[in-house]
Amino acid sequence: MKLTHVQTDALQELGNIGAAHAATTLSTMLSANISMSVPEIKVIDIAEIHKYVGDEIAALVLFQVNGEVKPGGYLLLYIPKTSVIRLTNAMLGLTDMDRELDEMDRSALLEVGNIMVSAFLDGTAELLNIIMLPSPPQLVIDMPHAAIQSILASQESEDIDEVVLFKTAMVSDAHNIQSSIFLFPNHPMLEDIIRRLEEILNPPI
Amino acid sequence: MPPGNDTVIIGIGEYQVGSMPMASIGLGSCVGLVIHDRKTGNGALVHIMLPSSHGKTDRPGKYADSAIEVLIKELTKKGSSPADLIAKMAGGSAMFKTFSGNLNIGERNIEVIRKLLNEKKIPVKGEDVGGCVGRTIFYYPKENGKLVIKKGDGTLSEL
Repeated sequence: MKLTHVQTDALQELGNIGAAHAATTLSTMLSANISMSVPEIKVIDIAEIHKYVGDEIAALVLFQVNGEVKPGGYLLLYIPKTSVIRLTNAMLGLTDMDRELDEMDRSALLEVGNIMVSAFLDGTAELLNIIMLPSPPQLVIDMPHAAIQSILASQESEDIDEVVLFKTAMVSDAHNIQSSIFLFPNHPMLEDIIRRLEEILNPPI
Repeated sequence: MPPGNDTVIIGIGEYQVGSMPMASIGLGSCVGLVIHDRKTGNGALVHIMLPSSHGKTDRPGKYADSAIEVLIKELTKKGSSPADLIAKMAGGSAMFKTFSGNLNIGERNIEVIRKLLNEKKIPVKGEDVGGCVGRTIFYYPKENGKLVIKKGDGTLSEL
């Protein structure tokens, strides 16, 4: 699979808009500034995924992307363990850093995930002029590589050899909270999104 | 335990044959299968993703059926005799419960691997499979084929 420059740029713009919406909601929830990286878009061979996501335990809130787009892609909010504790503490006004993740963190993660991912999809849907909705979330606190690998393997009928990785980092300096949003469109969804983007860039006369 | 510089990382669908330390990072429904030669101290690690190749040949390490074939072939080339081979495996977990798609792929990977190893008369000497956690594994052919398993729940074990 190869993306042309135009396609990469278009996807980057789409991601920028989605991520900006998500970052705004995070900023509101934390009452703090959020800095956001330029989205990275890469086509990665499955054998190389471990170079981008490792086995350091983190919280992952996962959503399938539904709506008026070909289904099968996933959006994923990734927050390292220490940042999860800081996030819950910041939201609830707590200070204890020396603790394990508990139910409170889990509900905070699901809540934050839902709000950020819904905002991300609102942004991209508005650009594409369609409806895009997240599925109910799944929360996993484990090795990110293991979770992503499991998702790719579950799309067995597609027998995936490479993935389009789409990543934006969002950081709150005030609270020292790091997070990233990953989008893993499957092939049909990617083609659908690219076709819609191309129509927007070159509208039929 | 970070892998040493001489450790070869085996990514999804890849395999390696030799006597150097090998590792696979973050196995979920994937299975890390070791076939170890007790006599020569050589061995192989493969990172299997799916049960069946359906005849595809471009990534033999990706599928259980083609992976076992290629590992035995490569080890035999290096002078192993089938009677000295043993197997160990880890992975095959089910990390998600509600999404659509094949959520029992880990279980099916394990089943197919067990069946094929049985057909090849390669005994499984140790396994840490199933459940719903991720696993990172380190294989040391020169230390009697030791397999160290680090799990997503923080536990560490050895096969």
